Amino acid sequence: MKKVKRLVSILLVLTMVLALTGCGSKSAADSLDEAAITETAPEETTSAEETTETEAAELDTSERVDLVFYVMGDAPADEKMVEDAINEILLERVNATIDMQFSTWTDFQQKYSLELTAGSADLIYIANWLNYGQLATSGAFEELDGLLDTVAPALKETVGEANLNMCRVDGKIYAVPCAWAEYVCNGIKYREDLRVKYDLPVPDSLENFEAYLLGIKENDPNQGLLTVTTEESQGFLTAFDAAWIFNIKYPWVNTNGLPYGLASNYDTPADVYDYWYSDDFVEDMKLMKKWADLGFWSKSALSDTNNSESYKNGLCVAEIAGQNPNKQITALQDFKNDGHDDWQSEYLAYGEVTNTIYPGHATQNGTAIVRGCKNPERALKVLEILMTDEEVNRLVQYGIEGVHYEIDDQGIYHNLNSASPTFAYEGFNTWALRNGEFKLPQETDVVLNEMFDKYEKLGEQTKFPNVNIYNGFSENYDAYQAERTAVSNVMKQYLAPLQAGLVDDVDAAVAEFRQKMTDAGIEVCRDGFKEQWAAYCEEYGYK
Amino acid sequence: MKIKKATSTIIFEIITYGLLAIGSLVCVFPFIIILSGSFTDNVTILTEGYSILPRNFTLSAYETIFRAPKDILQAYKMTLYYTVVGTAIGLIMITLTGYVISRREFKYRNQVSFLIYFTSIFGGGMIPWYLMYANVLNLKGSTFAIWFPALMSPFLIILMRTFIVGSVPEAITESAKIDGAGHFTIFAKIVMPVLGPGLATVGLFLALGYWNDWYRSSMFSTNSETWELQFYLYDLLNATTALKQMSQGTSISTAQLPTESVKLAMAVVATGPVLLLYPFVQKYFVSGITVGAVKG
Amino acid sequence: MEKSIKLLPRCNAILDKKLAGRKTGVFITAVVSLINIILSLPFFAWINVVNIPTLFPKLNITKDMATKLFQSYSIFNLLSFVQESNQGTIGLYAMILLVIMAAALYFNAAYLVKVVFNLKGSKGNLSLYATGRTAMFFEVILSLATFGYVIFSNGKFGMRGFQASPIVYIVTVLSLLSYLAVKIMEAEERKIYKEHGILKEVRKNWVLFVMLIPTFIYFMINNYLPMIGVYYAFTNFNFRDGLWASPFIGFKNFEFLIKADLFRLTRNTILYNLVFIGLGNILQIIFAILVSQVTVKWFKKTTQTLMFMPYFVSFVILKVLVYNIFEYQYGLINNIVTSMGGDRIDFYNTPSYWPVLITLFYLWKNIGYGMVVYLATIMGIDSEYYEAARVDGANIFQQIWYITLPLVKPTFIILLLYALGSIMKGQFELFYQMIGNNGVLYNITDIFDTYVYRITMTQPLSIGLGTAAGLYQSLFGFIIVVLVNFLVKRKNPEYALF
Repeated sequence: MKKVKRLVSILLVLTMVLALTGCGSKSAADSLDEAAITETAPEETTSAEETTETEAAELDTSERVDLVFYVMGDAPADEKMVEDAINEILLERVNATIDMQFSTWTDFQQKYSLELTAGSADLIYIANWLNYGQLATSGAFEELDGLLDTVAPALKETVGEANLNMCRVDGKIYAVPCAWAEYVCNGIKYREDLRVKYDLPVPDSLENFEAYLLGIKENDPNQGLLTVTTEESQGFLTAFDAAWIFNIKYPWVNTNGLPYGLASNYDTPADVYDYWYSDDFVEDMKLMKKWADLGFWSKSALSDTNNSESYKNGLCVAEIAGQNPNKQITALQDFKNDGHDDWQSEYLAYGEVTNTIYPGHATQNGTAIVRGCKNPERALKVLEILMTDEEVNRLVQYGIEGVHYEIDDQGIYHNLNSASPTFAYEGFNTWALRNGEFKLPQETDVVLNEMFDKYEKLGEQTKFPNVNIYNGFSENYDAYQAERTAVSNVMKQYLAPLQAGLVDDVDAAVAEFRQKMTDAGIEVCRDGFKEQWAAYCEEYGYK
Repeated sequence: MKIKKATSTIIFEIITYGLLAIGSLVCVFPFIIILSGSFTDNVTILTEGYSILPRNFTLSAYETIFRAPKDILQAYKMTLYYTVVGTAIGLIMITLTGYVISRREFKYRNQVSFLIYFTSIFGGGMIPWYLMYANVLNLKGSTFAIWFPALMSPFLIILMRTFIVGSVPEAITESAKIDGAGHFTIFAKIVMPVLGPGLATVGLFLALGYWNDWYRSSMFSTNSETWELQFYLYDLLNATTALKQMSQGTSISTAQLPTESVKLAMAVVATGPVLLLYPFVQKYFVSGITVGAVKG
Repeated sequence: MEKSIKLLPRCNAILDKKLAGRKTGVFITAVVSLINIILSLPFFAWINVVNIPTLFPKLNITKDMATKLFQSYSIFNLLSFVQESNQGTIGLYAMILLVIMAAALYFNAAYLVKVVFNLKGSKGNLSLYATGRTAMFFEVILSLATFGYVIFSNGKFGMRGFQASPIVYIVTVLSLLSYLAVKIMEAEERKIYKEHGILKEVRKNWVLFVMLIPTFIYFMINNYLPMIGVYYAFTNFNFRDGLWASPFIGFKNFEFLIKADLFRLTRNTILYNLVFIGLGNILQIIFAILVSQVTVKWFKKTTQTLMFMPYFVSFVILKVLVYNIFEYQYGLINNIVTSMGGDRIDFYNTPSYWPVLITLFYLWKNIGYGMVVYLATIMGIDSEYYEAARVDGANIFQQIWYITLPLVKPTFIILLLYALGSIMKGQFELFYQMIGNNGVLYNITDIFDTYVYRITMTQPLSIGLGTAAGLYQSLFGFIIVVLVNFLVKRKNPEYALF
């Protein structure tokens, strides 16, 4: 009995003693000698890398390497056949093979990140719509600066220094863009035949666009006018497709302005101003309300997602969101294929009105090497061959000549099984391997190239001739993630009905929207964005 | 020989037949619309909306789907394979587990039940799950990775346990044990024979799960030869949306995308066979002894 | 050898002495438990950081960062070291330590409570010993894991930077001894109640264990091993460091939940789910009974098949159908309304319609499917019950009320309990496809899952956010299920889930 009590008390005392000694952990800084701490990261590692790079100038191809090239979309039926043909050449040249792997279109965003996380691919397709900037900052890709010089100088030359520089993230190159410039300038697609028939103005301003729609409505009350949804308005610029029309009014640096309701003009990119809290915004929202009341779009448009075939089937007379020259070509083809020979589609780029035409950004289509790739040199070498060798480039883009395609006298590409192609035009979806020098034109490219020529001339007259300013920018929102998500929610809940003209009192609704935005912490996002944007403009000299 | 029915029975039968008829109509109505839409010309659907009978009758939607009959037949074949293999193995494993955790003499049955149930609440998310199969087990591209992950579910195990507890009285198994029967004998000779409706239910749920799945193909297939049917169709659908978005940013061909009527035809193609097979499973749910039935 | 033989009875003798109605051994181990708990408190150092002047430069820790670091850490604030020093590589291990520590604390506390209040189960002190044994077991594991941690992180950094404090040694020895003590006491108690341990159980019911092997393997691969990914909820993922070495950021990923209208989201999700579970099950039971009563075979088969059909209508197609029914201008309902001279109804801009509509479509889609379970249960009912009831003159309603419903009850309760665990997990597809991007309706149609989905869509690398959201849902459901299961178990253990 007593023994037990004594034992217990001894144990308790022991803990108390321990408590006293162990108590109060001191700051680690106390035991730090100031001199022992280096403020910057050690430099040795980088210099070590450089030395190895120069040594590796002569590529060692003694060992066979099987590379995986991850691309988007679905595999062509003749994947194996074309791969074999490519590999035959690659084996002979650099003792390597490639295996194309396809994301399929189901959950592709998610699977793309997974692929990078798992690290099973070597080469991978990149694009700004796949968040190239953020992924590169986060370290998903290998740096190519040194490798390009030592392993693939020909590739560097083909793509061009300027293009490569546009793929720089934090000063480093992580991707090789394609070597073909294209214009993806957004605009309005409208029915020229109806415009002429009812003698309406070309929709080259808000007033004329309104007049065009009203004129059709008056002449044919049953004709649908616009099929606008929220599909093209995800993200932080707009919340409803109808608001894209304001690109015709403002010479913004980017379609729909900058995120978080900010804006700056193409000529003065660094000069950021406020759009959502301006009087212009109120005026614009009143116009949207007016148009909605006039019945330009369905009252249920916010829930509609099915707009893909409206224009094609004549259910609407104009499309204003997410359009580009290529979609105009598709429309022309569709009208022809469906037997609507009397229908005519015309295209007006917003930039033609506001004089802000620029080509697509280099990061639109590119190829990167996945971090952790075991043979980055060989992968880059293979990429070089795929892009700069005419024979291989044709193979990978169009398949086997005589089996999958043929070239006619004018040098135009024709698929040999166009009904159900076993290897379609750019059948591997390797849009990043486009090389202007070897690119075969399709029949429709004639019209497209005319449009591109027109835009190129217009683009030359801008302050930054043919430079896409905005799309090279990638925002780092780590510091204000929570505010950002709140802002995105407010946009969906309060901005969308405003832009769809579904509110009763625009002034009151705008006031509420602004209040909710402020509550959500829009200022934090704006400050963070402005700071990064200013630094970006500074870096590239966009003043 | 007929016995006069009680008034309450007659009232009840009127209610029964009436409610079931209304319920069935409500349930089948959208399916009729889908079926008729799949035979309707695409432009007609877009301009005039859906209807109960097809207008401008055409088979073009089905022609589009069966343009590459080899692919779709392969997808049917694979789905059938996954469904049969998965359901067979899964049903055995689920029944065994359900049996074990329904045994009173098994000391850890509550703990095991808890561990199984726990997985339905907590999970590490998709990423580690994917890496487990793709990187650790290196099963990406195999058919195993497509049927294995859906073999069991806590829900079905616990459902099975309930069925076993409900249909096999403890007294019977106890007396069998006294007679010297082992667990395997009890399981095979006593539990299995009376478990008809339970097996049918769990088997049906398992099979439907396999038939309707597209996700595992999306995650683990590297070759269209291992695609499940639903994924084959779902991917066609998704291509529309994806290419539409992408063609915003770059020049790509967006021809050959499925139309409204093709989408509806897909729904028919995917569910038709199951609905035809369902009556065969059904006998386990309808052949029991019915209340109020008069034995003649 | 001889010595130990002599020692054991002596041990027993000491442990067996009675003290205030309890064995001395119980008291001693309880005190160890108390000590364990005290030593686990945050101000006791378990791990010391040593050789700081050489360690910190090696880890790229600057002077600024060092001011936030300490020379010694408990298991509690060990993660703060991981966070402040940016050493993601040792984060997961530190997290595991914390989880073991939590388990150990829980069982130690439970043991203390049981000892102090002298709680006894149906089999005397057996459950008390089981708790004590588990507590000591976790404590031993914890201290061993702590040593492992020191070795692991020293190995990672390639130098002696960490050291286990004397406390860890004390805890190891005390816990180990207590574990043995409890074991000895338990063995005696077991003899009294003819209970056996795990080894004996395996020997006795080895067939049952064999039957469980495939299940064990399956759940290990498919669920338990991937569960380690819960750790992502506390990291800020980047590709450079990878999944296991990304910076540890504590509860920052949960911030967005607080920023969001968490109350509204939780309320919406739970209310919808309660309605779905309640109405769904009731209607399923009603229709199952109706179908089971039908005597005409073809009618029975047909109605059952037809009611099953909506289950096959995918949500993507459902969305299109719904839009065509409720659209303002040319929707089916508005066409009917206007042709009867009424005013158009603006469904898509009036939130109040949607809770009803969503519930209707949920029920429509799931009644036929869920009915199968109840139908199978009813089919399993012995017909003799009904025969007897009829002989007693019970009419059809009485038969249903007194025979069918009570026998369906166990199934109903199990399904209900099961569903409660997912009470915070909404029907994502249903809501996402029916509401889509229509922000006007969000106030009363936004559920947790749709909200999280929208957030992760705006942030490509939001692995942490998604995991954090899932963790919240899981914890919520877990607490509710454990509570309800406890209540059910007290009333009738047969109905409990576990």
